Amino acid sequence: MNCKDCSEKLDRYVDRELNDTEVLELQLHLEGCPDCMDHYEFQDHLKRLVKHSCDCDTAPAAFREKLRQILT
Amino acid sequence: MAESPVRTAFAEEALTHLDTLYRGALRLTRDPDQAQDLVQEAYLRALRYQHSYQQGTNMKAWLFAIMRNLFWDRFKGSRKEDVSLDDSGDFALYDKLKDDGAKPEEDVLDKLAASEVVGAVEKLPPLHREVVLLVDVEGFSYKDAAQTLGVPIGTVMSRLHRARQQLQKSLYDYAVESGIVRSDGMKNVGSQRNRAEGSDFVGPRQVPQQ
Repeated sequence: MNCKDCSEKLDRYVDRELNDTEVLELQLHLEGCPDCMDHYEFQDHLKRLVKHSCDCDTAPAAFREKLRQILT
Repeated sequence: MAESPVRTAFAEEALTHLDTLYRGALRLTRDPDQAQDLVQEAYLRALRYQHSYQQGTNMKAWLFAIMRNLFWDRFKGSRKEDVSLDDSGDFALYDKLKDDGAKPEEDVLDKLAASEVVGAVEKLPPLHREVVLLVDVEGFSYKDAAQTLGVPIGTVMSRLHRARQQLQKSLYDYAVESGIVRSDGMKNVGSQRNRAEGSDFVGPRQVPQQ
């Protein structure tokens, strides 16, 4: 695998969408390529940052109870 | 009149996904009141079409699909209003920072407030925003996201890739506005980086096992 192949697969690697063989190939490349490792770490960090920033909102308790009254 | 036990059980199961639907509605509408209206209508529609839900399939994805379809029907009017994002190159924020000797994750991402990240997500065009919500925030697989949105997996991947590029650009703008980096591209965190360079060596990085 070269850096171009790695870059093309990085989204799917970060999203756990590669198959086992592709994961092993990509990890082997990352271990020997600091530039691609930096790219991977950045992409992975950005994904986690988006998740943690956006998933703290929860439905207000009063709204949950209102829905429960309406639906059940 | 009391509701049937079947309907009540269905509603109770559906309500276990309320936070996911509310978060999605909040990010799509960017308004708490509109989000509640959208979610309530989605639940009422889900109950009305309860018979079309196949037991054992992904109820969260089914509910989200109902909610986002209502969003497009009611709040946007037409999908043509959505703005496409050009494929304008990889790692925009990353490339802008790494040449300055900064460590983009530690020097910039770690310094961004959650509100700034949410703001960047909400600035995405809705078609791209909903893919980020499903895959990055709610952890949907590409396959589940594709089924939820009614598009091919390749479309999910391309929208996600472009959305992430746009997020980087928005976050770079926030970083400049908040003084984390200067507009000429030079980072403004030299003293912190120098301290890091003087810290103990922590060993080589490991590729995480998936």
